[in-house]
Amino acid sequence: MDMQTIMTTIAAISPARAWGIDVPNYFWFTGSSAAAFIISSFAHVFGFKQFKPIAGFSLLLAFVLLIVAPLNLIDDLKQPGRLVNFFLYGWENFGTSPMKWGVLLLMAYPTLIFFEALILYRAYFVKKIDNAGNFMQKVYKTLAFGRLGLDKENLEKDHRLGFILGAIGIPLALSVHGYTGYILGVVHANVLWYTPLMPVLFLASAMVSGTGLLIVLLPIAQKFFSKARQVDMDMMKRLAVLLSWFIVIDLVIRVLWLSFAMPFGGATREPLYQFFAMHSTMIIYVEYLLCLIVPMMVGFSKLKNYFWIVVSVGFISAVGVWLFRWNTVIGGQEIPRSMPGFMHYIPEIFGQNSIVSVSANWALLIAMLSLIMVIFPWDEEMEDCYKGVNNGKK
Amino acid sequence: MSIDKSRRGFLKKSAITSILGVSSAQAFSLKNPGRDAKDPKYIGNKSAHYVMVIDLRQCVGCQACSSACKVENQVPTQQYRTFVNEYELGEFPLVRKAYLPQLCNHCAEPSCVSVCPTGATFKREDGVVVVDSEVCWGCGYCISACPYDKRYFNYETKVADKCTFCAHRVDKGFLPACVETCVGGARVFGNVNDSNSDVAKLLSTFPTDVLKPEQGNKPQVFYIGLDNRIEKVHNATHLLDDIVRKENGALHKEWVKLPKENR
Repeated sequence: MDMQTIMTTIAAISPARAWGIDVPNYFWFTGSSAAAFIISSFAHVFGFKQFKPIAGFSLLLAFVLLIVAPLNLIDDLKQPGRLVNFFLYGWENFGTSPMKWGVLLLMAYPTLIFFEALILYRAYFVKKIDNAGNFMQKVYKTLAFGRLGLDKENLEKDHRLGFILGAIGIPLALSVHGYTGYILGVVHANVLWYTPLMPVLFLASAMVSGTGLLIVLLPIAQKFFSKARQVDMDMMKRLAVLLSWFIVIDLVIRVLWLSFAMPFGGATREPLYQFFAMHSTMIIYVEYLLCLIVPMMVGFSKLKNYFWIVVSVGFISAVGVWLFRWNTVIGGQEIPRSMPGFMHYIPEIFGQNSIVSVSANWALLIAMLSLIMVIFPWDEEMEDCYKGVNNGKK
Repeated sequence: MSIDKSRRGFLKKSAITSILGVSSAQAFSLKNPGRDAKDPKYIGNKSAHYVMVIDLRQCVGCQACSSACKVENQVPTQQYRTFVNEYELGEFPLVRKAYLPQLCNHCAEPSCVSVCPTGATFKREDGVVVVDSEVCWGCGYCISACPYDKRYFNYETKVADKCTFCAHRVDKGFLPACVETCVGGARVFGNVNDSNSDVAKLLSTFPTDVLKPEQGNKPQVFYIGLDNRIEKVHNATHLLDDIVRKENGALHKEWVKLPKENR
């Protein structure tokens, strides 16, 4: 270093950093929701019948994830009581504040999924009416929109409506997670975040976490709560392969991102080298090698025939994406911009924006998922799909 | 029967009145209620454009500005709207001290304003960037978006906070507290639209620099005698001395961590 450039900071102040553990958790939830919706659309929109048995389940999972996700944001607010201001004021910034887009997306997307689920399960609600008590009859009639016909015409109408809502839902699902990528990607003050690849990067990694989550939850649902009480291993293998392909896409985009940011980067190069050097063990060995490369190899090899290996890689890939969200949101804020030295973040255990608040959010996810699975006859629908698709065999 | 009818009528009327009342009080707004009402505090001096010129040759790093600001604006303990960073340049025997007073740059293109989802932070017509502490919901997007780290969550008001160029003083014809108190006369504030103002004269006389021009924010705080090596230190990645964090014992704690009693 040139003698003239040797500098020591004698006095400076700690800059403030705004976001903590709630934000990566929110991004993970919305991303996994978008992925679950898209996997559900494989059958509903694209006609991939092999995914039909899990289409309903993953649609419900997408719904619950998106209902629970925004609570992370509310918890992150310093003035959660002023939530209404988000809806009322500041519309002149709509074009420039991706956070503002969330007003519309976070309302439209879960509403659409909810209606799609109601249409998907309408026939099942109608079938339940006969054996239900007075109150539940009214509930089922409402859930079926009062359309109680089970003839071919009505079923075709369900199918058509499901297709239309699914088709509208795909861009909406991409937007609901893509916008979170925008939230970070537009911040030119942050050298890690500022890239147009961020929304795509978030979407690609979301497909990994969503598939991983399905791989973990599906066998639990099938083994303990479905009609057949049996795990569909063929479906698990299919999901493992799907996961591997999503990881390939994710890795390609990450290589594009990191290569342009570092070896071919300009002013961003040096701080990013320092950042990745500082977190090399976590990022290279855990996030990439363990949580992406290993699951990818399992999906592309005979290891996918082993149930517990598939479940394990589903789990670690979902965890890996959570770590990626953490390393991006928290890591990006660690990088210095007005004083020397990296910031450090250790979340609080209790209170707002803490480990307990995020754990509570996860607990709520499980509770809501259980509730939704009780209300919606996903098990009957899954059973019917198996009878239709695989001639009754699993 | 007639009583029932009148009660029903009363209830209907009250319901309509309350709905109208709520909707008029909290109507949708492109901006925010204060700006819609054209409150002078939100508009500022329409004919002026306020800037600050900091002559680094005059700064002695006494922190009088930091102290005056804290007192004037009731900035909570261990939080700062302005601060003078102190550096040591070079190596013995060729060594010298350097100071860099920093505050909100009241950018012409403020990235904090454009990302604000509630319209709480905005630019007045005289160029001063302010935060409506009644509207801000504390999402922190502006804090993340500011390339200069000049925003923070005020842990007393629990909203985003920053330098306002002491708009409450300026509106009454006074100077900002930091300018008023600057012992070396390093901080100069004024209306750049007025060609007779000190800032206009300084800007037309001396070459000036702004911090991080590559960010495109067009800062309105101009420095005379800014050593570009000081800018480099912002990107330096060695963990150097940080008096405040050391005193708090917070070097390895959560970054928003403040003493328990102040949270």
